[in-house]
Amino acid sequence: MRSARVPLALALAGAFVFLALMRVTAAGEPDFTGVWSTYVDPTAPAGRGARGGGPPPPFTDDAKKKVAAYRAMVTPTGDTPGGYCLGAGMPGSMLGSGGYPMEIHQRPEQIIIVYEAHNEVRRVYLGNRIVPEADRIPGRNGHSSGRWEGETLVVETTHLVEQVDQQYAHSNQAKIVERYRLTTAPNGVKVLVNEMTLTDPVFYTQPVKVEKKWQQVPNGHLLPYECAEEGWHKRLEELEKKHAKPGA
Amino acid sequence: MRKAVLVVLAALFGGLVGVPASAHHSAIQFDFTKSVPIKGVVIKFEAINPHMRMILRITDAKGTRDIEVEGHSTNNMYRAGYRDKMIQVGDTVTVYVAPLKDGSDGGYVTAALTAKGTRFGMVSRAIQEAERERERAEGGARQ
Repeated sequence: MRSARVPLALALAGAFVFLALMRVTAAGEPDFTGVWSTYVDPTAPAGRGARGGGPPPPFTDDAKKKVAAYRAMVTPTGDTPGGYCLGAGMPGSMLGSGGYPMEIHQRPEQIIIVYEAHNEVRRVYLGNRIVPEADRIPGRNGHSSGRWEGETLVVETTHLVEQVDQQYAHSNQAKIVERYRLTTAPNGVKVLVNEMTLTDPVFYTQPVKVEKKWQQVPNGHLLPYECAEEGWHKRLEELEKKHAKPGA
Repeated sequence: MRKAVLVVLAALFGGLVGVPASAHHSAIQFDFTKSVPIKGVVIKFEAINPHMRMILRITDAKGTRDIEVEGHSTNNMYRAGYRDKMIQVGDTVTVYVAPLKDGSDGGYVTAALTAKGTRFGMVSRAIQEAERERERAEGGARQ
């Protein structure tokens, strides 16, 4: 009996090591679990790898007016949503989240993405966990439903609110489809590639396609990010001054 | 490796770290093309987000006074070398700030030299580009 258990245990251990090395789940899908930071091309000139660019978004006329009005309002003051401890929302969260890393926890029925900046969270539901449409409340990150197409995770995000405060501003009719796959950079770094398509007939004359790459941070850790702490401390200092006894 | 980390952080700072850099107020008031050293004694220090905060007692031509500076998020400073207790009340430190455009006391801390001689922080994109421009000019002059 004992002799039969040893090969079985060795086989199980071998399978576990194989799955871990290949970064696949027990079901055979790629495993995105881990900490990821914005991919930096090691061959790009220093200090120039992370900045975006490209042609202007194909806004509709109404969207152009809304975005122009917003930018005219905030550009002189430099105000941003982050300035009020507000998370980026989609697609800004997945396109960089202010340059901070993100952490992915993957289970068969749910994938949780935690962005370090503002502790912003996205939940991608799969299979029976997908939230019925009638039960969805719109938000800045919307509702995300996922499915596997081979080794590619396809995520559809709807129920977004209008956001003119993003690089890719959008209406509440926006739909974002992301296709995630793993690859390896020439220097051996694991890279998570996200090909995103934003469709929004209210804000855009045609679908917008963006590619975002994240690189794995081996044994990485997210740090806490209590954005409101500074504001609270300043308020406490105001109260302390107000209540300080003269001469004390 | 350390240089690579700083370059990456500098790239992020220049292009993507708009969220923390402007949190709670605009960063538009600071001149990020400059890096000015300020040496002083730490009266108060808070390693918090979105901005580190510090009160320094400094002495210069205007006399001795306490000034308040702020800086990058603790998270960004951590990835640029900051660790817990590196700066403590009573320490004499040098902070490198993007000064306020109006010339008043204060600034935005991008790097620091601790009492034990440890440096942490990053270099802004504008300063990196100015440095590259200077190196190019010097290279051209030598040819």
